[in-house]
Amino acid sequence: MGSVTKEYQDLNRALDDVRDLCREWAAMHEASSFERNIFRYVRLVLHEWLANLHQHGQFDGRMPVVRIRLTTEDRHVYCEVRDNSTGFDLASNLPTDSPTSPEALPERGMGLRIIDACTQQLSYDQTEDGHCRFTFSIPADHDPWLRMRF
Amino acid sequence: MSFDVEPLSSDTAVVYVGSSLDFRNADEFKSTFQEYVADDVRNFILDFSDTEVLDSSGLGAIFSLYREISPDDGQVAFANVSQPVQVVVQLTRTYKVFQQFSSVQAAEEAFSSQ
Repeated sequence: MGSVTKEYQDLNRALDDVRDLCREWAAMHEASSFERNIFRYVRLVLHEWLANLHQHGQFDGRMPVVRIRLTTEDRHVYCEVRDNSTGFDLASNLPTDSPTSPEALPERGMGLRIIDACTQQLSYDQTEDGHCRFTFSIPADHDPWLRMRF
Repeated sequence: MSFDVEPLSSDTAVVYVGSSLDFRNADEFKSTFQEYVADDVRNFILDFSDTEVLDSSGLGAIFSLYREISPDDGQVAFANVSQPVQVVVQLTRTYKVFQQFSSVQAAEEAFSSQ
């Protein structure tokens, strides 16, 4: 089991660092049996989540703080993102419809659709110290193509 | 960050996407292509050779371009698709809408032959 943790007080910096963070984690598992695309899915999910936080997060005047932790265990990647925003209703924003084709995809709002397809065991809650916590896992043999709603 | 555009003909242009097309520059991408659409460019080749990030907002901006030009039989093609972009393309089935080419030249030739 290995883990990588990074904390940011600048959401733009966090977004730009996600690539290096995932690369660092992937390098730790160079000899593992993980599919090479897994770290790309992790990177994509983290980017989409941070992009949502950047565009829509409410911080009530506080400096945004986000902590990202990546852990590998039992052929799964586990990720936790904690932030000090006021939170939002993830459950009601997750997609439930199935567009008939890519052309029917909305111009905005595809991020959560992508997150939903790429992840397993997705959850979002409040920690005891009042932070928002987004967690997800991706198994080594995950194929998000099969979960994308079309 | 601005987008470099190279006109290939009166109705075809290459847009060099660069390192990233995401929510932070999606509006700039739209402004860029709208200038060329106003000049009657209808075929766009998007060169992703250096692209490390394409997110849902960037993809949405590309679909915005497509919806603007497709009523006039305009086309959007992807060239030099990088691995990170390919992940998004496969996940969203974007390959069903936009043809992919190994090079800008191949895309240009395909447009010319139609």
